[in-house]
Amino acid sequence: MYNYSELYQAILKGNLNLAKTEVTKAIENGCAADEIINSCMVEAMGEIGAQFEAGKAFVPNLLLSARAMKGALEILQPQMQKENTKLLGTVVIGTVRGDLHDIGKNLVASMLEGSGFKVLNLGSDVPADKFIETAKENNAEIICLSALLTTTMGYMQEIVNAVKEAGIKAKVMIGGAPVTQQFADKIGADGYSDNANAAVTLAKKLVSAC
Amino acid sequence: MNSRERVKTVLSHRNADTIAVDFGSTAVSGMHCKVIEGLRKYYGLEQHPVFVHEPYQMLGIVEDDLADALGIDCTGAFGATNMFGGTTPAWKEVRMPWGQVVMQSVNLPLVEKGDRYYTYPEGDTSLEPSAMLPKSGFFFDAIERGPLEIDDDKLNIEDNLEEFSLLSDAGLAYWIKTVKEAASKGRAVVASFGGSGLGDIALVPGMQLREPKGIRRIPEWYMSTIIRTDFIKEIFRRQIDIAIQNLEKINSAVGDLVDVIMICGTDFGTQNSQFCSEEQFRDLYMPYYRKVNDWVHSNTGWKTFKHSCGAVRPLINAFIESGFDILNPVQVAATGMEPAALKKDFGDKISFWGGGVDTQGVFANGTPQQVSDQVRKQCDIFGENGGFVFNSVHNVQANVPIENVISMFETLKSIRNV
Repeated sequence: MYNYSELYQAILKGNLNLAKTEVTKAIENGCAADEIINSCMVEAMGEIGAQFEAGKAFVPNLLLSARAMKGALEILQPQMQKENTKLLGTVVIGTVRGDLHDIGKNLVASMLEGSGFKVLNLGSDVPADKFIETAKENNAEIICLSALLTTTMGYMQEIVNAVKEAGIKAKVMIGGAPVTQQFADKIGADGYSDNANAAVTLAKKLVSAC
Repeated sequence: MNSRERVKTVLSHRNADTIAVDFGSTAVSGMHCKVIEGLRKYYGLEQHPVFVHEPYQMLGIVEDDLADALGIDCTGAFGATNMFGGTTPAWKEVRMPWGQVVMQSVNLPLVEKGDRYYTYPEGDTSLEPSAMLPKSGFFFDAIERGPLEIDDDKLNIEDNLEEFSLLSDAGLAYWIKTVKEAASKGRAVVASFGGSGLGDIALVPGMQLREPKGIRRIPEWYMSTIIRTDFIKEIFRRQIDIAIQNLEKINSAVGDLVDVIMICGTDFGTQNSQFCSEEQFRDLYMPYYRKVNDWVHSNTGWKTFKHSCGAVRPLINAFIESGFDILNPVQVAATGMEPAALKKDFGDKISFWGGGVDTQGVFANGTPQQVSDQVRKQCDIFGENGGFVFNSVHNVQANVPIENVISMFETLKSIRNV
């Protein structure tokens, strides 16, 4: 197998230019997109996520790794389409209506993308119907809701209700500073995670239950 | 013991006659204008639009009559311009999206576009908007401007120093007048002179700047704390030099009237982690905090106030070594921030200004009785041997039920018995 150690380190350390160079080299060496993603990029994102959970890496480290991973994925995109690379599932993600905070949500989106999910990021201040419409159109397995504010987290309940009424298969997972497992249980969400790395684990679990 | 004496006593880690209380003296220990309106009504005070001194978070001024009714011991001295570059002491009536009429800066246009309102630096609508408010929201958020991609070869330190400048004669005259007015109230004066916050992420986007340049986008700034440390250190070094020169002037004129200085609002904690390691904090931030805090302690009688949300327990020793006397908002629901352990481990070295009631939990979502119980408990834990100024965890948000806010103040009255 191709030696991916340079690409792995580039993503782990968040070196965007090196990640782009190394993924280009891998493609030129005839590596398949799914091998590059699964044998290297997913592993590197998993490692930075594990370091974050252990208190050995911090939000700026995650941002750097996510940026390097995204840069590499953009270069891989044409090859993924050509090879029809299979992804883990489709996630629709956004910060809920009334809330404009999206750093945490974007981190979760990047971690999911780097872990092999197709991610449709709707941005911030997103109403319920937009989540549902996008999930329907893309046959999404997961809807991820984020809120930073106690003033906006209540709107998650409306979205959970609307998803159930719409009768779509997507599972709803929620997160954000004031959100708790207790709150997730109360509003009937399918899952909750308190950080970007745990969100990936949860998404994998929810997809397998779909 | 009057309010000022009470605050000075507890900040010296001694028991005062009772618990000291702050609401409204800083932009991180205040109350949303909607809450202030509710309190004025409940306590039967004159009904008039609340003055919003900090429009980004929509914080209202706690006027003297309300401060007396609530038993507040502190008062704030704020700058002449707000976070959008608007003039604060010049007012106009504005109806906010939630229906409340408030007094806002004359330089704060609210331009409706789609489902949001936009506002502009210095109120100049010919520029790109610098902040937005969703119609269902209660405060603004920054719109990131400035370059999308950073070309490291062309980075210019001056671009990230644009907002830091030496005080003009008029600027100094403003502070002299403002501090004197604040001191005349008989409460402890907490001054936000500005310029000493190191990489405060609320300030990095430069919402007041007409055309911000340099590193202005939030993720880019955070990443720069790892990949551009020399550049960031140089910003910190130069801004602190400017801040100290300004403080020298203010101290010469009205230093004796000030009790506490708000040094920095940079958040180092998330809900369950930090934004950097202790090692990185000591390398990147501590030398510059030490410089300004040492100057304050060598030249004034002021206490130094550090705000940082989140799970900052692993950094508290480094905050203390950096010369901070006060930690706010003491986010008691964050990981590792249990009140009794904080008080035991750090209570004789740093004062806790906050932590009195959990804004993310009981305060917003609990009953008045639960609020009252928590207020009593936190006062028991934090209040022993001074080192505590009662405040909620961060500003009182718009959605906190007014009966919970009243319960907090009425409980404080019964505890304080003053």
